[in-house]
Amino acid sequence: MPDLRGSHGDQPHHILTRWFGTPDLHRLDVYSGKPGGYAALRTAFLEMAPAEITNEVKASGLRGRGGAGFATGTKWSFINRDAPGPKYVVVNADESEPGTSKDRYLLENSPHMLVEGILIAAYAVGANQAWVYIRGEYDEPYRMLHEAIEEARAKGYVGSRPFGKDYPLDIRLYRGHGAYICGEETALLESLEGKRAQPRSRPPFPAVKGAWGRPTLLNNVETLSTVPWIINNGGAAYAKLGTEKSPGTRLMSVSGNVLKPGVYEVELGQTFRHVIMELAGGPPEGRKVKVFWPGGSSAPVLPESMLDTHTDMEALAAAKSMGGSGGVIVMDDKHCIVRAAHRLLRFYAHESCGKCTPCRIGGDWAVRTYERILANEGSQVELDTLQRVSDGLQNGRCLCGLGDSAGWVIDSTLRHFREEYVDHAIRHECNVEAPPAASGRHLPMDREEKTASA
Amino acid sequence: MKSPEKGALSEHVLDEIKELPAKYPQPRSAVMPALDLAQEELGHLTPAAMSEVAATLQLDPGYVEGVATFYSLFHLEPVGKHRFYVCTNLSCALRGANEIVDHVKRSIGVGRSDQVSADGLFSFEEVECLGACEFAPMMRLDHRYHYDLTSEAIDTLIAERKGVGKVKVPSPPRGAINGRSARERAVLDAPGAQGQGEGLKRRQPRKKKADA
Repeated sequence: MPDLRGSHGDQPHHILTRWFGTPDLHRLDVYSGKPGGYAALRTAFLEMAPAEITNEVKASGLRGRGGAGFATGTKWSFINRDAPGPKYVVVNADESEPGTSKDRYLLENSPHMLVEGILIAAYAVGANQAWVYIRGEYDEPYRMLHEAIEEARAKGYVGSRPFGKDYPLDIRLYRGHGAYICGEETALLESLEGKRAQPRSRPPFPAVKGAWGRPTLLNNVETLSTVPWIINNGGAAYAKLGTEKSPGTRLMSVSGNVLKPGVYEVELGQTFRHVIMELAGGPPEGRKVKVFWPGGSSAPVLPESMLDTHTDMEALAAAKSMGGSGGVIVMDDKHCIVRAAHRLLRFYAHESCGKCTPCRIGGDWAVRTYERILANEGSQVELDTLQRVSDGLQNGRCLCGLGDSAGWVIDSTLRHFREEYVDHAIRHECNVEAPPAASGRHLPMDREEKTASA
Repeated sequence: MKSPEKGALSEHVLDEIKELPAKYPQPRSAVMPALDLAQEELGHLTPAAMSEVAATLQLDPGYVEGVATFYSLFHLEPVGKHRFYVCTNLSCALRGANEIVDHVKRSIGVGRSDQVSADGLFSFEEVECLGACEFAPMMRLDHRYHYDLTSEAIDTLIAERKGVGKVKVPSPPRGAINGRSARERAVLDAPGAQGQGEGLKRRQPRKKKADA
């Protein structure tokens, strides 16, 4: 395990990371030796009715930590526990939002916390089998989670009669194969079923018809890892932390131009100034924060002047952004916003699954426009094109959020940094000390141009 | 697609693939784990291998190819024995990933991603965020993450892999869902263990049709 870059140790606002840093925390005996380790599962299983568990999660006000921020307890209550036939819990461990590494941090440090959370959730919604869809590049987290499940199996927590109760529980793993879109819940289900990962139209929602056509609860790694604490300490205790509408804490992975990049557990409602300037140490000597992405690359950017924005979802919505995945990317004044947006658009263009036309075509179109601008061939026409493409990508024109995300990158960078766009597109100059733009993966259009120039 | 050539995949891999469908609520879910096994044996997915996977799982060959082409971890062209997956998404790009890419290209002597080095040992691709942004710039190589990359670190990794038989490519982790448990694999992967590298002997990549 590499060194720990981020929150660890017992502090009042450390719910997920309070035991991090303990040697061998990934082993069951160490985790169980902690006050409360696997105690929540025992309590939930032996002393609580399933509806009580769901109500406790509802009372905590916990909201999904994957990106959308939907109320977790409410999501659990959508599953009809009494419906006949199999039901599933599917765990989204396909973390691939640029700038986000919190799920990896949890999996590598405390896989048993997730295992415990999964088992509690499965019992609460009436599922006997849980599937963890973990991204294929996560070799080490996969090994660690697999070991943790096997340890829990040996202990009987996973098996036919956990705690002597006739309620079989099983957790299985499924590896992803490198597709950002699989983080979208219905695309993930398609992938789990052995198909190309293209989002489904809803309704029916996964709670009614999810994995293999059965009622399915889908939750993120961080969301489920929080559940044991809530069962141990009560929903009310969790609701006391954070703000009224965004209670609790969340992991924020801070990356980019900061002195101490890391995964920090932050009580919601703190400011980004605290997260970026204090926890992550601020930008390098002599540099200023220029812009930051508050919740992964898909969250609309905020300029330096908005560092005092609070981290709760309502405050971010008011700032025309979102909490997203909690990945905070910080860029300093050495870097060029147009090149950064271009790099991200290449990402969205590559990762579009191709199902919805606006996303399939819009991403490519935007990349071509950015490339004309960066080749100093731009004019007002290119700026207008970017705005038009951005508008066309947004507002629910696609089945999932990927198109919107691509549109937000264009829209928010244009909104906050129009001067810099004008410099590039019309004056044909770049006024920042910018590194060469990264190109990322090959796009079909690259090949076209190569053939054309050959 | 060409008709399946007999013997693209070895018998024991096909036997493993045959056991996969029963492990899922519906057999179709076995397609990606099966392609994984095929790729582990051959290094990349040949049309013949995909056809054999399709025949073994009783799926349409076109369907299997459709899945294989959708996911970026499946390779349809030969790759080097050691493949650099260098993240160049924003968090890494802001901390020098471009220089790392340039250095990798120069060091292994290739001009673009997916090209294989002359000795067949190395290839590289730029990839999207690998979810370890606090260690940027970073990459994945031989089923491991490598953090805080520098040119020197790249040089060391390359030198280690050029030394004869020094660094073996570890197998991708496999759980109970497809074959041996990780614990068993860990034992198999230990240096000097019997059976080491059984699934790792790769065929020489078939000669590509004359590069135009």
